[in-house]
Amino acid sequence: MPRERPRWWPSFSSTLRSTAVTSRIGLVLGIAIAILFVTGLLSHYQYEPWRWLPVPAKPMWGYRLTQGVHVAVGIATIPLLLFKLWSVYPNQFRFPPVRSIRHAIARVTVAILVATALVQVTTGFLNVLNWYPFAWFFPPVHRFLGYVLVGSLLLHIGVKLPDIAYGLRAKVSEADVLTEIPWDENPASHSNAGTLPDPPTPGISRRGMLAAAGAGMGVIVITSVGQTVTPLEPLGLLAARQWTKGPQGVPVNRTAEQAQVMAAATAPDWVLKVVGPRPYALTLAELELRTVHQARLPISCVEGWSVGATWRGLSLLEIVQQAGGTTDSRVQVLSLESVGYNHSFVEGPQLTAALLATHLNGERLDLDHGYPLRLIAPNRPGVLNTKWLARIEVLS
Amino acid sequence: MKAWRIILAAAGILLGLFGVYRLFTQIPLSSLVALGVWLLAALLIHDGILAPAVVGLGLLLRRFVPDRGRRYLQAALLMGALVTVVALPMMYLRGSQPPVKALLLRNYGLDLTLILGLIAAITLSLYAIRVARDSNSADPDNRGDERQPS
Repeated sequence: MPRERPRWWPSFSSTLRSTAVTSRIGLVLGIAIAILFVTGLLSHYQYEPWRWLPVPAKPMWGYRLTQGVHVAVGIATIPLLLFKLWSVYPNQFRFPPVRSIRHAIARVTVAILVATALVQVTTGFLNVLNWYPFAWFFPPVHRFLGYVLVGSLLLHIGVKLPDIAYGLRAKVSEADVLTEIPWDENPASHSNAGTLPDPPTPGISRRGMLAAAGAGMGVIVITSVGQTVTPLEPLGLLAARQWTKGPQGVPVNRTAEQAQVMAAATAPDWVLKVVGPRPYALTLAELELRTVHQARLPISCVEGWSVGATWRGLSLLEIVQQAGGTTDSRVQVLSLESVGYNHSFVEGPQLTAALLATHLNGERLDLDHGYPLRLIAPNRPGVLNTKWLARIEVLS
Repeated sequence: MKAWRIILAAAGILLGLFGVYRLFTQIPLSSLVALGVWLLAALLIHDGILAPAVVGLGLLLRRFVPDRGRRYLQAALLMGALVTVVALPMMYLRGSQPPVKALLLRNYGLDLTLILGLIAAITLSLYAIRVARDSNSADPDNRGDERQPS
């Protein structure tokens, strides 16, 4: 293998890229990915909690906060990741491309990190937009790929720790220029050349560039977060959801038509079957008589939108107790829908706080919101607030 | 630092392998093949198309745009590009959902135009202030090489 790089080999002369710039972007990106990982695991816990540690009912806005943060940070991570990758692009052209087995392994692990990060933020955003051009079931792949991403990120931080430490200590305007030549092998590199005047940056400065990128990401956050920070909805130029446009002031994730429950949910002879030690059934007329509880609870979707609403309905706990259950019961609620997220489990603090809602924001529940009856509980993902209820099972 | 490096690397390898193990035991092979295609395509599209395009654009700017105006143009293009990346899929998917979902109802093309227009207006104003200041300056040698405050 030739030791000298060929004349046609790409070279990079911009003085904007630097280890100091990259380590700062990387620090922010690392924090973002840590937030995404933790909020993602919290969301997963909602779906598969351990029996001995049921999901709390307080704070009622818990899931609204963590999942709103997950999606807002995730969307902002798309430009952040691209910015980070731009800042290290010359590293792809170091010569020779592979110096040793160890170097080859390092490059492969970086490729895994970059590929998983790109696919993770892209498919996450597409899931928010309900577009599935990929041929896999999103939730488990998103979770497992998250492990691969965070694992390869930890490895990457371990490998790069000396560079990160140097970069974060160095001043943004003074640190070495990052080119296809590693800075510690480049005597002309700024930081290796002693105290010199600033490198010539006749265009934008490094600080200016960081400020512009920060401003761009700020614009994205402010114009998209209105789908969960409801007062900011008027600024939501890039918000996927507009809660004001949903029926009864609440967006819908799965319509009655998609769920194929139009006929069954509007049938006048609909009954709610309650199964337990003392089984019974409730008719539509009996529902109305027992609609005496009211609560202000947010509905918070895994896709990052949320909105507070006033719900009126029956106490799930009272229904369960009438069937012979207790506050310690594990309860399954089942929908008229035959596929998909058509059931969920309620137990512990959420059972005590849960409503079976008949009314939303002062009106009889819209068919798309789960008429005639839906579950609504605090600190719970929207999709687990099962709609179009047909059956309650007291399991223990 | 060495101990930290070893801890981070070991934890990372274990977590990454756990993720790979879960993928290969929980996800059907056909899905994994599709995922592999996406991972590879993400690398190729980024490193082979997107990144070279940005580098090429930077070279063109350096070649054809004067120094004083370039920093403002660079800032505007950077901000605009980041916003555009997020807006493009929403423009493409606008109106693809049942209206009751309140999802993707906005005219994102118009919204993006508004945001880009605002970015352009702000950077143009800053540039105009800069030009006005320079023309008032007695010393022409100072033109264009002051650092941009940020």
